[in-house]
Amino acid sequence: MCGISGIVHSENIGRNLFNSIRNLEYRGYDSCGMAMLQQGALDLRKNVGGIDEVNAVEKLDQMQGSIGIAHTRWATHGGVTQENAHPHLSADNKFAIVHNGIISNYQQIRERLQGQGVVFESLTDTEVFVNLLEESYAEFNDLEQAFLAALAQIEGSFSIVMLSAYDPDHLYCVKKESPLLLGLGDGCNYVGSDLNAFLEYTRQAIVLDDGEYVVLGQQDYRIRKLQTRELVEKTVLQIDWDLETSKKGGFSHYMLKEIFDEPQTLRQAMKIPLEQISTIAEMIAGAPHCYLMGVGTTYYVASISQYYFSNLADRYYPALSSDEFSVVSVESGDMVLALSQSGETYDTKTSLEYAQKKGAQTAAVVNVMGSTISMMVDQVIMQGSGPEICVVSTKAALAQTFIMIRVALELGRLKSQFTQKIYEGHQTDLEGFSTLVEQVLNEQSGFVRNIARSTSHVEHWLFLGCGVYYPVATESALKMKEVTYQHAEGMPAGFLKHGTLSMVEPSLHCLFFVPPPEQKNLHDRTLIAMEQVKTRGGTVIGIMFQGDQRAQAAASQAIQLPRVSKLCAPLLQMIIAQMFSYYAALDLGRNIDKPRNLAKSVTVG
Amino acid sequence: MKAVILAANRSTRLSPFIQTRCKPMIRIAGQYILENTICYLREAGIHEIVLVVNHQQELIRQYFGSGQILGVNIEYVVQEELLGIGHALSLCKSSLEKKPFLLVYGDVMTDYNPFLSILQTYTELDREVAMVALPESSKEFGNVYLDHEMKISRLIEKPETDQANYVFAGMYVLFPKIFDLLNEHQQNISRCYEQMIETSGLQACLWEKGWIDMIHPWHILGANRMLMSSWETAQIDSSAKLLGHVHIEGAVRIGLNVTIESGTVLKGPCYIGANSYVGNNTLVRNFSAIGPGSIVGYGSELKNCVLFGNNDVGRLSFVGDSVLGENANSGPGLTTVNHTIDYKPVTCRSGATEVGTGLIKLGAFIGDSVYIGARHTLGPGTIVESGEIIPDSITL
Repeated sequence: MCGISGIVHSENIGRNLFNSIRNLEYRGYDSCGMAMLQQGALDLRKNVGGIDEVNAVEKLDQMQGSIGIAHTRWATHGGVTQENAHPHLSADNKFAIVHNGIISNYQQIRERLQGQGVVFESLTDTEVFVNLLEESYAEFNDLEQAFLAALAQIEGSFSIVMLSAYDPDHLYCVKKESPLLLGLGDGCNYVGSDLNAFLEYTRQAIVLDDGEYVVLGQQDYRIRKLQTRELVEKTVLQIDWDLETSKKGGFSHYMLKEIFDEPQTLRQAMKIPLEQISTIAEMIAGAPHCYLMGVGTTYYVASISQYYFSNLADRYYPALSSDEFSVVSVESGDMVLALSQSGETYDTKTSLEYAQKKGAQTAAVVNVMGSTISMMVDQVIMQGSGPEICVVSTKAALAQTFIMIRVALELGRLKSQFTQKIYEGHQTDLEGFSTLVEQVLNEQSGFVRNIARSTSHVEHWLFLGCGVYYPVATESALKMKEVTYQHAEGMPAGFLKHGTLSMVEPSLHCLFFVPPPEQKNLHDRTLIAMEQVKTRGGTVIGIMFQGDQRAQAAASQAIQLPRVSKLCAPLLQMIIAQMFSYYAALDLGRNIDKPRNLAKSVTVG
Repeated sequence: MKAVILAANRSTRLSPFIQTRCKPMIRIAGQYILENTICYLREAGIHEIVLVVNHQQELIRQYFGSGQILGVNIEYVVQEELLGIGHALSLCKSSLEKKPFLLVYGDVMTDYNPFLSILQTYTELDREVAMVALPESSKEFGNVYLDHEMKISRLIEKPETDQANYVFAGMYVLFPKIFDLLNEHQQNISRCYEQMIETSGLQACLWEKGWIDMIHPWHILGANRMLMSSWETAQIDSSAKLLGHVHIEGAVRIGLNVTIESGTVLKGPCYIGANSYVGNNTLVRNFSAIGPGSIVGYGSELKNCVLFGNNDVGRLSFVGDSVLGENANSGPGLTTVNHTIDYKPVTCRSGATEVGTGLIKLGAFIGDSVYIGARHTLGPGTIVESGEIIPDSITL
């Protein structure tokens, strides 16, 4: 997903165009750029990084001109580099385009053009199209005809906006299976991949349909069908809402949107090539010591992974918080596996540098392509979870945990911990998990919300679990704290009798993460702890699996999940706890997507 | 864009309040449900309304007329035979000019304007949209499954297993092709939605604020509470006469020409409609709505209750968690008992069956034009049918 914007005005639009891609930043934020026409020549500035970061270097908002295009990118393939960032210029610098989508036959066209001596700066499909424009223009000497002739040669799904030095008054736009809208202002017009591109400036919009193209001027616009070139009459819509609420496509908060995105994220994590997973497993297998590292949620992901490495590969690798990593005396040849969603986490970056200095090998699981951490480690897995906008991490944390399970499973195989048949059984469990998540998200939402509502007033929570459910509880408690601002403490259920039981009274609410009954030892230990709280008058709430009558009897309120493999059960509970925090925060009227005092990517020490 | 509001249906489960009015003409927090819906529509820029009516349509026509008083144009379509939603909608075909339109079920209630959200999703995505909400129990509704893009992937009318999904919230943006689908599926709207889900796709728009579908009489209390909870300020008309010391706290709303005697305490949110009289030393607690033209006698207590209007509650009464229909009057000393001795959830009669309300606190539902004589005590969940006259309870 990328964001496109374009403006045609009579005044200088540098600042407005910059603001418009800033409002699209949620569509992607690994690189961005702008192209404007200034005194007949195209001025192009682009770079890697978030919008404000790029602006600090490139001064996008100070660009001059009254017509321009802009783009913010989220790389799905092709590295995050300055060359690959949009807009793209033709070799003769007369055409600039921004593009969202995929040109599927770009390779053939690229080869043909290369044969004619065209030199490409980037590896993108977009640059192929812009050079196709140059070629077509040489043939027709008419911009609209050249645009259409170039379009006739490409296949795929795309929306494109073109700016050319040959026509300082118009933008040329086309829509095919990627969204594109027009905004009609007073003496100026806008185009964007969604309303946020121009909602700050105008409330009048036209939604383009597939197969339509537009020649967009400052006062006028002509929309035609690509096939027949006949003019199309469109309804102008009056938009009545504010910018902040218009980005979520039917969802009321990004947090819920991202939770509902989890099945998709898991499928993506399953698609990561096995070789990438095996490479990391082999690095771990060959190292004398291995450390798992993260901070905040990623530390808890590392803590959960500890248990999977132990269960699946019979190896204990300590999980460490990045900011406390200096306690480890890393030696040459050791392995440090780091987790970071943004890839810019200051503490993690610093600790990786420290480990590298000591001669350790490093690897990381990261969500943002081209980020510092992804570039500095010896081996990286891009988790491909897509942009996560809510400050509180849900889908990215889940995907990381899922990927770590895959790594642990490969390590187990390397170390011959189980038969091929068992290995395949585990793979099947992992593959089928996303479908189950989809079902649970739909069928359990109401139950989770009812309990969250009835307990949202609770100011103190204990989140408790045994075995791998203990770090699941700590991660879930962090979610609760982040988004509801209520106090939630995660701890091993076995801790209760060693001190914490003294706190128990009816107002103390305990959320138990109950394992499936077939994990008898863990289940028994959890049940004992539940009884300990219940008999002392504390309030017991359980996230458990269907048919677990003992746990049901011990809990005053229960969320009952469908049976799932032992491998995936903790993940399912993690998801339910995310929803629980979400609905509690909703009831409390918290600023869910941007909780107070928090930032998405902690890039300072 | 035009909106179609379905207001024809007659739902017996809302007895005793449905014999003399249709659901959209139930007054919640001082305002008819339909009036509330139309105001939300107008706020969202929709001024052309097609209103499907039948049961008790005169009430609607009398109050709303051409819609001018609310700043909208209303076109009435009469559904002579109550043959379901699909049938009602198909009657509106000629009024809709082959353009996308909003379909609104007239008996749903929200605390904030839902139409801004649904129109926003429609404009953003240019698809047919259904508003979905998450009720406490999804048994009574069409359960939907959502995918990661918020499209509806499946519709289950009556789930067999115990589940709690998002459900259709009774608000849709539909395209004119719905009329072809209705023909194809013998006017069964659920089949049409199913086909849309399978073929062109149906986008969901999530509504996470308050939402209530009025099915049972106790939903009137829930809706009243929901709407009043969204009140942030007090509004007291300058014509109100507060005689002597009247204590007011919270979001209290008082209409035209209301008289309140000394010693009365009003705890917001609560509402006192125009031309009402509240006697001395009365306690009006939160979530009480006293409809216009009512009298509340000396020393009474009102709590979480809805008085439709023109009511007379005799002195020294307690009305709690209860609804009084229009012109329902009681002599002095009425007590509505609002919980069982053991605080178990109250059951209520609906037609021939007893229905669990799930509510620990619930009083009585007293129909229109009921007269209850002096000194009566009504048990939790009691229903008094409209027009009943209960003589005084006299000891000697």
